[in-house]
Amino acid sequence: MQQYILRRVLLNLLVIFMVATLVFLVLRIDTDFVVTQQAAQTQITDPGATERARDIVRADLGLDGSIFEQYRTYLWNLAQLDLGESFAAREDVTDEIGDRIGPSLELGLLQIMVALLVAVPIGIISAIRQDTVIDYVLRFFSIALLGIPVFVLGVLVLLLVARDPIGYTPPLTTYRDLLPFPPFETGRGVDVWVNFQIMFMPALIGGLGTGAIIMRFLRSQMLEVMRQDYVRTAWSKGLQERVIILRHALKNALIPVLTVVGLLLGTIVSANVILETIFNIPGIGLWVVNAIGQSDYPVIQGVVLVVAVILVFVNLLVDITYAWLDPRIRFG
Amino acid sequence: MQGEQQAQAPVLAPPAEWALPERPSIPSNIWKFIRRKPLGAFGVLLVLLMLAMTLGMPKAEFGAPQLPSRPLGFELGQPWMARFRAEEIFRRDETGRVVQAVSGPIAQWEKPSADHWLGTDKGGRDTYSRMVFAARRSLFIGLWALAFAVVVGTTVGVISAYFRGWLDTLVQRVMDTFQAFPALLILILLISLFNPNLTILALGLGFVGVTSVQRIVRGVVFSTREQPYIEAAKVIGATDTRTMVFHILPNIMAPIIVVFSIGLGAVILAEAAISFIAPQRVPQDPSWGIMLNVTSEFLPPDAKGYHTLAAGGAIVFSVLGFNLAGDALRDVLDPRLRVG
Repeated sequence: MQQYILRRVLLNLLVIFMVATLVFLVLRIDTDFVVTQQAAQTQITDPGATERARDIVRADLGLDGSIFEQYRTYLWNLAQLDLGESFAAREDVTDEIGDRIGPSLELGLLQIMVALLVAVPIGIISAIRQDTVIDYVLRFFSIALLGIPVFVLGVLVLLLVARDPIGYTPPLTTYRDLLPFPPFETGRGVDVWVNFQIMFMPALIGGLGTGAIIMRFLRSQMLEVMRQDYVRTAWSKGLQERVIILRHALKNALIPVLTVVGLLLGTIVSANVILETIFNIPGIGLWVVNAIGQSDYPVIQGVVLVVAVILVFVNLLVDITYAWLDPRIRFG
Repeated sequence: MQGEQQAQAPVLAPPAEWALPERPSIPSNIWKFIRRKPLGAFGVLLVLLMLAMTLGMPKAEFGAPQLPSRPLGFELGQPWMARFRAEEIFRRDETGRVVQAVSGPIAQWEKPSADHWLGTDKGGRDTYSRMVFAARRSLFIGLWALAFAVVVGTTVGVISAYFRGWLDTLVQRVMDTFQAFPALLILILLISLFNPNLTILALGLGFVGVTSVQRIVRGVVFSTREQPYIEAAKVIGATDTRTMVFHILPNIMAPIIVVFSIGLGAVILAEAAISFIAPQRVPQDPSWGIMLNVTSEFLPPDAKGYHTLAAGGAIVFSVLGFNLAGDALRDVLDPRLRVG
């Protein structure tokens, strides 16, 4: 087990190294375009300044010197967790990500909670009442939810809620008002009510979308497990239905579902870019979308790297949990 | 001896009840599909509708393929379903009627009328026609992306599973690495670094899909390669290439078709999402994602709301169509593939 974890961690470091290299190479596909675009953001107007602005940008992005030198500096900076400064606000990207990742993680976790709370009961009901009206209705809703993209559903819900009969809009806020996660020093307390108002709708919408996937998967797993011999034995022993389903069938059906949950957990931070934009959640997603508009390259690069790291290690965590829950799994 | 006796026996027509049932005709097959998979049939209908939106008179002008309106090397004319050209500007005349004219105030944000079924947009252009034009972009990006993903993914998957051993291990590790990339963010990175045309965007989206295609194909080939007919092919001296191309490939077509159709929905969704969050950075042809972004703060009683509904509805129904059709295809063609 320890050996397996060690090997996986090393493999993950390799993967992160490759992501970093890819990001490095992508920036160098069309350097002139990038530099011109960034220089245009600096808004220097005096004559002859364009070239100077470009040189500054080149130096800022680490685009001067030979490609090997550039690569060495890039990796060295990464090793020190130095992601550079944002162009727009001149903030340290590493610090800024640390501040903004809180709301993003909170939203992601809330979504998974909503998804599980909705998907597990529905998946069970749909499986044990297979091919009844209730099964068809539940399955239709899950397929419909899969078909409606979050950015359409999000926009619709936000608009409908904001209209006359309800007339409610979530309060505007900055990330400094909602810091449910350490390690932040604000001096202000967290306003739980504001926090709830902001997170409620996007968590519900994103959670239902994720829940639809989990529900369909759990349903097919349950159907499979319910046909197993040991479940039939449980029935013939005369156990109650509730006991058979919850103790015998569900436990085994949930294990593969956990993998799916884990995979979704990994993608959730990157997938929430859209929901954060629509609902103005001040997390890294909203930040990165604003950065695209301003051609703020260091910000985009930093967020991509951080999300890749999260993704890779969440996957590792899921694999380990999976092996711990199901002793039949062997470490290959 | 026995053979001779049989040969001498007079040839008798088999009794009528032995006759094989007639092969079901195509219409009856379709009817059966509709009855057994009503949701799937609804999905197929939506897909056909979307396909119809892209059709237009082809022109005999050949050149390199370019999305959205020259997907196969020849130029497609205006879609038959569109009522006006995508960039046609409508203005108001002195009496306030909306007409095609060179001068006059632009008729922006008109409400739906007999002429403009879904009203007009900010530039005085017909919303319905632009929605129809945009189907071309979505569908052809989807087709190109999936063609790329399926061709590369199948090649990698078949080779990896056929030879197994160290090659398989190596290929799978590389694929694991690709899978760790946050796909949406990598695409955002791409469009923030240079303004790609639609063909590049489609290939980028396809690249993201290669890993999942190859994983599914690899799984199927692992069981296919143990079949007796593969062994038979090897015994009569078929080369590895021949075995893979003529014996394995035809037998894994069903899962490939299913992956293709489900993947299309996902790619259309991804393209719309990218156009929605970064509308300035993607090519400016009519696009559902861009349209939704422009008016995403309005709903119908407001004239702008119809624009929102047109774009949002088009995205929802096309993605829903491909998902439903893909689900039904999977049940019909290959029930083993039931993943979730």
